[in-house]
Amino acid sequence: MMSSALAVANKDLKLFLRDRTALLLTFALPIVLALIFGAAMGSMGGGQGMGRVPVLVEDLDESAASRALIEELGRSAGIELKPYSGSRARVARGKAVAALLIPSGYGSEIEAGRGPRLVLYRDAARAIEQQVITGSLTPVLMRLSGREIGRAMMKKSMAAFGLDESATAALEKTLADSLAGADSSDGALPAAMGLEIEDVTGTDDPAQKNAGKSHAVAGIAVMMLLFSLTAAGGTIIEEEQQGTLERLRLTPTASRAVLFGKALFIVSVGLLQLIVLFTFGALVFSLPIWDAPFALLCVSLALAAAATGFGLWLSVTCRTRKQLEGLSTLIILVMSALGGSWFPLMITPAWYQKLGHFTLNAWAMDGYHAILWYGKGVDGVLVEIGVLLGIASILTLLALRGWRKRFDITT
Amino acid sequence: MMPRRENPDRPRAAGAAAAPVVEARAVHKTFGSQTALHAVDLEIARGEALGLLGPNGAGKTTMIRILSTLARPSSGSVRVLGLDPERDAARIRAKIGVVPQEIAIYDGLTARENLYFFGRMQSVAQSSLAARVQWALDVAGLVERADDRVGSFSGGMKRRLNIVASLLHEPELVFLDEPTVGIDPQSRNHVYEMVAGLHATGVTIVYTTHQLGEVERLCDRIVILDKGNEIARGTLLELQRKIPGSGRRGLRVMGDRVVEARAVLTEAGIASEIEEELPGLEQVFLALTGHALRDGRS
Repeated sequence: MMSSALAVANKDLKLFLRDRTALLLTFALPIVLALIFGAAMGSMGGGQGMGRVPVLVEDLDESAASRALIEELGRSAGIELKPYSGSRARVARGKAVAALLIPSGYGSEIEAGRGPRLVLYRDAARAIEQQVITGSLTPVLMRLSGREIGRAMMKKSMAAFGLDESATAALEKTLADSLAGADSSDGALPAAMGLEIEDVTGTDDPAQKNAGKSHAVAGIAVMMLLFSLTAAGGTIIEEEQQGTLERLRLTPTASRAVLFGKALFIVSVGLLQLIVLFTFGALVFSLPIWDAPFALLCVSLALAAAATGFGLWLSVTCRTRKQLEGLSTLIILVMSALGGSWFPLMITPAWYQKLGHFTLNAWAMDGYHAILWYGKGVDGVLVEIGVLLGIASILTLLALRGWRKRFDITT
Repeated sequence: MMPRRENPDRPRAAGAAAAPVVEARAVHKTFGSQTALHAVDLEIARGEALGLLGPNGAGKTTMIRILSTLARPSSGSVRVLGLDPERDAARIRAKIGVVPQEIAIYDGLTARENLYFFGRMQSVAQSSLAARVQWALDVAGLVERADDRVGSFSGGMKRRLNIVASLLHEPELVFLDEPTVGIDPQSRNHVYEMVAGLHATGVTIVYTTHQLGEVERLCDRIVILDKGNEIARGTLLELQRKIPGSGRRGLRVMGDRVVEARAVLTEAGIASEIEEELPGLEQVFLALTGHALRDGRS
């Protein structure tokens, strides 16, 4: 029995080793995905994580203290300051992650020994970046304002109680230790430092205020759309193998009409799939799909067209269904990881985000995010729609070329 | 439709003197270093039923692909129904019907839905489509199963549907590529009747098969290809007479006196051997089981 089992195993191993698609999926794909995840999380080669998060800064005070604050913040490894006027609106439009407003009177408040007021405008959808920003601001604020004010107040108090200098130093150390150990991400500590935080994006409805859900639904929608439309495009290969395609070629109907019919079918399936998924998202996760339904429809249509082009192009390029399945799995998983279908691109380094925008996933995700989170209408997603339609046109032209080469021109 | 009687001396179809439906001159076709056809000439008269025979790899399918506009010859000239396949492919396709060897219909659709779809693709006028579909269902013996999905059909039923799906637009020239592969004798007989009926209406037929009996029964003329070369052409009788030792004649013996007849003829030096001619197995099977189709409900 053992020898038979070994023979079977040996035979299957030989078949497996001769199957390039299986080899790619088994060995190459996990390596590629591991590389992508590693790069996205910034851990590759002991690098610098997600890089410095850009933060707008608007100095209305223009005092020595405010300049010192900006200079000190500029030395932070976590954030990169960019002076900007009208920063709140820019954050609200989703064009910036956060903005720090230094109000007029900041310097005089410090000089007077009072807690100065600062305002941080945030895009709450970009939660991971906000943690980096808060984590970078807190120690600086502590150093420049909280610590000085705290020390002054503490010394006054100590003197009033008649304590000597050594007791003051011990208490000061205790205060510094407790501040260093505190969690600065929940906003409590920054608030104690005089930092007011205002989330300026998203809806006020707490049920809808969840960028993670909108990202999850949109991400899955985009990835599954690519899978299902590639499978639908695979009917070309099926029809070729069962002979119906040749039968259609033998009719007076132009072969381009057959390809167009296929495209129409695939776009319809894709649009239907997106409608079902977003309706599900609205019912279960309270996604605000009715805030800008026309914009959502336009992005979905452009995405379905792009995914159809992708499916058709792959289908006319591959010779067998098996080849199509292997290649499409490889490409779609890589595109999904690069394009932000699995995790938000905003948590990745800048170079990764640029690379991601070579995929249709990233543009679709940008479009959906703009509608579902920032509440934009069609005019706010014209670029995304344009790029998706551009991708659709290029891929469809490539598919048409492949189709003519393979099925049209008699050889 | 009645089956045609076997007759090796069958005259060529009427209208043979008219312009040929197919004219192929010195057709040469290569695929890389492989030569599929070597300067083959072929002429088919209007209304003729031509049997195109040859072993696997002989070049039959390549020839049919060239004649049906799916491939172009490497050299030589071809005209089909007076048209150039390269320039007038769409016009030729509107006038020909090609029944592929594989069953090229959609299992997920009903027989009627398949026929409507292929009828539309063949540009059958909307006003006559319903009638043509009904005609096809009737000819294929599928009226009772018209609204069942093809996936539930037997091999024979699918074959019959496969044939009529190519006839909806009333083609003048029909290519049938091994249309009876893998079906039972009843369905095969029904296919013969369909083809013979088609031929009787004046449609030109090109029929390829490995079943020589089908060619004997259905075709006026035969062309045999081998390794891309034409090795024989003519009526069945003409071909039979080319074979050495083919001058043997049959002798019908009255009653049950075969032994007696053999003795007399041998003694007189007239015959060296007398064989009893028996019907083929297919004829026996059909005689015993009848000609009716066995498709369940139909």
